[in-house]
Order: sequence, then structure tokens, then C-alpha cells
Amino acid sequence: MTDEELMLAICKGDQPAYQAVVKEHLKPISHYAYRLLGNQKDTEDITQETFLKLWLNAARWKPEKSKLTTWLHRITHNLCVDYLRKHSRVQTQDSFEDTLVDSLDANDDKDIDFTQRDLNRDSEKIQILDSALNQLPENQRSAIMLCTVQNFSNKEAAVIMDVSVKALESTIARAKRSLKNIIHTMTNSGNTDELLEKKKV
Amino acid sequence: MTLEDFKQTIESLGTDSAQWPIDTRVQCEVLLKSSSEARLLLNEQVELDSLLQKLEAPTFLGLETRILNQDLPPRQQSLIDIIVDWLIPSQLGAQLWRPAIAACLPLVFGVLVGNFFSFGVTEQELALEYWDDELALLSFNDFSSDLDEAEL
Repeated sequence: MTDEELMLAICKGDQPAYQAVVKEHLKPISHYAYRLLGNQKDTEDITQETFLKLWLNAARWKPEKSKLTTWLHRITHNLCVDYLRKHSRVQTQDSFEDTLVDSLDANDDKDIDFTQRDLNRDSEKIQILDSALNQLPENQRSAIMLCTVQNFSNKEAAVIMDVSVKALESTIARAKRSLKNIIHTMTNSGNTDELLEKKKV
Repeated sequence: MTLEDFKQTIESLGTDSAQWPIDTRVQCEVLLKSSSEARLLLNEQVELDSLLQKLEAPTFLGLETRILNQDLPPRQQSLIDIIVDWLIPSQLGAQLWRPAIAACLPLVFGVLVGNFFSFGVTEQELALEYWDDELALLSFNDFSSDLDEAEL
């Protein structure tokens, strides 16, 4: 069944159709929410709420305007941002940059070299990247997740984040530079393990 | 194109050249052929992107069951939503006739109201009211020529 057929069935209260949509979209939605919220419990709550909203507002999805996955990610994005605002966990762009300026001044514009410090194994690199990603502000994490990890086009990601395409492209570029700088700092500071431990705590 | 422009392009549009605008693509390809630094930048970006794609979220054991087993409330649309959904349907044919019907409703309402309510004015009263006026208007007519023809 196509997304349109499934959603029409959900509009008529068809629970098997709802279950099919949940099974298809659960993984990307929970992954996205996890990257924005950073913990398992909140991720599960927001994911559940996303699908509840899908059930209640299925008729509001307009297939000619956006794909179902785009619409679902937008719901998740809005729920996550609302949640982070309510719990005052949104790190603004300015505050993030303020905290980074001191530590990254020396490394600005240097390029990342993953071969340093014997970071040979992919898993170790991914752990560092994971930690670095969590240090980015919410909008940059969103942009990276949507465009690079979940392979949305810039236009679709802009719709999900409710920003212009230009603003999104600028956010991605800033996010990637910040990521490189953070990784560079982590790998050069020689306390990679300590940073990873901090992340785990 | 400078190295900085190239860096900006691959950071904001990604490393897949198919996603770059055509004019930018040509310039990027020229730069990539001539500059080893540009190639290094591209390789680093490709590596970063591939590592990002390997990032995984923890497995949420039981989340699927939890979502599928939750009690789904009945969908209760507000009256406005119902009206808007009816007026602006997704089916192409209905997009024409439903607004047309909605536009005709005031006319039908007017006809019905006019048919059932006289608002205190009856036909008999109208006739009585205007009978004098009608006589007066008739008196303005010149019937002399008609009379002359009759006499002849």
C-alpha cells in the first residue's frame, strides 16, 4: 500500500494501517528524536506522542505538499523543540559560539585528520563524532541529522525545520565546521578517553 | 572558484556533485582537477559524511510494542476542521462543486426566507395601497384620439 492509501485508511480508523505506518517510520523518527533530546526516556515519550498525533491528525497530511516522512519528522521536530524549550535545554547559537570561541581559537580553519592519535578504528571515530555531535546546538544537530544522516534534501529539511533553504545551508556549513573543530580539539587535546567518559556520564 | 568557496559548497550542499548547481559543478570540477588541497577537502568531507551515516541510536526495546498497544483515542475533529475539510477536499472533482454549492447557499437561503416570510406586507394591502396611484396615472393618458376614431 502507498502512503496515501495507508493514511486514507487511518483517517477511517483502520488500526492495521496505523501499525504499518508505525513499523515503517519508527526507526528514523526515534533516531532523530534521540539526536535532538539526547536521552532514551524523553525520546520514547516524544516518539510515542508523534505517532499519537499522526493517528489524531491523519486528515491534515496533504500528500501533494510533502512526503509522509517529511510530515512526521516535522511533527517530531516541533515536539522536540517545544520539549527542550519547556525544560530550558535549548542551547542558543550565540551561547554555543561563546563557549567554543576560547577553546577553538587556535584550531580555527584547521582540517580534521582522523589518522591522528591512532584513531584507526571506525567505532572509535564514531564515538568521538557522537560526542562532538551532542555538543552542537539543537538547530545544527537537526540540520546535520536531516541532511547527512537521514538523507533529506536541503529543501525538505528546511520544511521540517521551518526555515529558509539558505538559512538551512548556512546552518549545515556552520555545523560541519563546528564538528570538525570539536573533533580536532578532542583528538589533539589527548584526553579523548576522558571526553568519551564525560559523554557517557 | 576559491578553495573557501569550494569548502562552503561541499559543506552546505554535500559531497555528491549531482546536488551542486550546474555552473558551480563545472567550476568545482575544474578546481578538483587542479588543486590537491581541494581533493583533500573533499575526501575529508566524504569521510565525515560516511561516519555520520554510521551513527546509530540505541535500540529502543519495547517502544514499538508500547506504541502499538497504546489506547488510541477516537479522532474528534472540530466543527471548523470538518467544514474546511469538506470545502477544500483533496479530490479534484469535489474541489469544484463543493465550493460552488457553498457559494449558492446564501441564494437558496434568501429564496426560502422570501418564500416563507412576508415581513408584514401582503398582496391585498399592496393592491389597495397602490389603486389610487394607478387611477391617477391612467388619468394622465390622452384618450381623445381613441374617442375620435370611435366616432368616425
